[in-house]
Amino acid sequence: AMRSRVEVDATLQTAKLNPMELLPVVHCLSFGPQAGTGECYLLQLEPGLCAELEAGRSLVIRGEKDEQAVLCSEDKTYDMKIADTSNMLLFIPGCKTPEELKADQASCNIIHSQIAGFSNNYWELRRCRPKLKKLRKLLMEDPYEGPDSQKDQTLTFSKYTIEDLLSLIQASEQEILHHLQFIDACKIEGYWRILEFDYEMKLLNHVIQLIDSESWSLSKVPLRTCLEELGSLEPTEMIEHILLSYGRKYVDIGEVYFEMHEDKICRAIAQMLLQNAVKFNLSEFQEVWQQSVPEGMTTRLDQLKGLALVDKSSRPETIFLLKVEDLPEENQERFNSLFSIREKWTEVDIAPYIQDLCAEKQTVGALLTKYARSSMQNGVKVYNSRRPIS
Amino acid sequence: MVQIIISSTGAGGLAQWVLVELQGEVEPRQSGGLAGSLLGDLHYTHEGIPVLIVGHHILYGKVVQLEKPFAVLVKQGGGEPSPAEPHTSYTVTALIKTKLLFKTRPKPIITNVPRKV
Repeated sequence: AMRSRVEVDATLQTAKLNPMELLPVVHCLSFGPQAGTGECYLLQLEPGLCAELEAGRSLVIRGEKDEQAVLCSEDKTYDMKIADTSNMLLFIPGCKTPEELKADQASCNIIHSQIAGFSNNYWELRRCRPKLKKLRKLLMEDPYEGPDSQKDQTLTFSKYTIEDLLSLIQASEQEILHHLQFIDACKIEGYWRILEFDYEMKLLNHVIQLIDSESWSLSKVPLRTCLEELGSLEPTEMIEHILLSYGRKYVDIGEVYFEMHEDKICRAIAQMLLQNAVKFNLSEFQEVWQQSVPEGMTTRLDQLKGLALVDKSSRPETIFLLKVEDLPEENQERFNSLFSIREKWTEVDIAPYIQDLCAEKQTVGALLTKYARSSMQNGVKVYNSRRPIS
Repeated sequence: MVQIIISSTGAGGLAQWVLVELQGEVEPRQSGGLAGSLLGDLHYTHEGIPVLIVGHHILYGKVVQLEKPFAVLVKQGGGEPSPAEPHTSYTVTALIKTKLLFKTRPKPIITNVPRKV
């Protein structure tokens, strides 16, 4: 039987509370039929997520059985964990706040509220970096080698659509799409593919040769002519893709042009040269490199950040390939890996290899403070591991 | 990989609930379980202070606007086993933006009168 106003007033009297000091409406709280069943869960919402849900958008929890689960909105990824509280949290539908009661001049003075459930824990979220290393790894299973490649004739199951990727990668859709663009992936027959490096260089070389033979300015390469001249050699989608990867598209008087990225082209050519040996004599490399890039482009070592590392301690100085995307994704593992490659690093040298670890508003300096120990060497500040590296 | 969807019908379909935070544990007085049993009476003073009378205790609390609201999720697709992987999903039933926090020590109600009036 539901409590009556008479009973409520009697309780107030027993409790020696003055009804005049209280708002006229009382909530009689009881446990609803589903209260103990544990079918309700509390999810604590980070800024922005409440608005997402109010807009009717969904959230998705993603993770393999051996992975730590993450929660994704359309464009952000969050680590999830259970937070325990020593208190009891009851969740009550239809329970009004004092403001709501004062604003609502209702005639009733008793509200029977049923507690829908209770819990002493909730899911807590923390914004994290999307786990995108797996994306490149998946696409590298079967890089696209061009239409003439024998491989593509056979059935292969290592090809992924965006839906496939969403079911395999712990990241939001926008973060995945953004990364696909960042790694210059392209959609071929509905599947996202990464180009095999030699094929990519072949395409780039076609464009560079054409720029040279036509004496075009590097900042005004016409799309139409490229497709006309090179369309017999390679699929037009691939020609356009390489121009998009290595240039900035713009329109001038109705015609599409590309402003070529000098840095990116020089960097790709450096990779082509460096991948053929363990390391190179620095000055010999720099000479060959400059000769290999298109007329009008100037090579600079800072174009190779995150791609190659110079060893200034060897005589003569050497340079070797070290790609940041080949290093571990997790912070501690990344630092362990870097310190096993080189014992002491200057900030200038290590920064390109840890920049991608920075969380929103976190700096390289903050990461170094956390994961490394600094000391002075020959008047220069260097960083080494906090723990012994085997 | 498991993809668990948490779906929402949007602001129109989302109720606003309130969280009540109490110290200690909730235990049924009778052995029959909690469903249906009374917790207590919730009053507010004119200044907006929540006052909860639970059993022989008076609890004074405060209304807190949550910096991080909660979503209340209800599991869908209850326990029908299927040959394919069971598809778990949740729907957001309600949002909680306000809580009534009762942190003060309960004030016991000392009575020497019969409970029923």
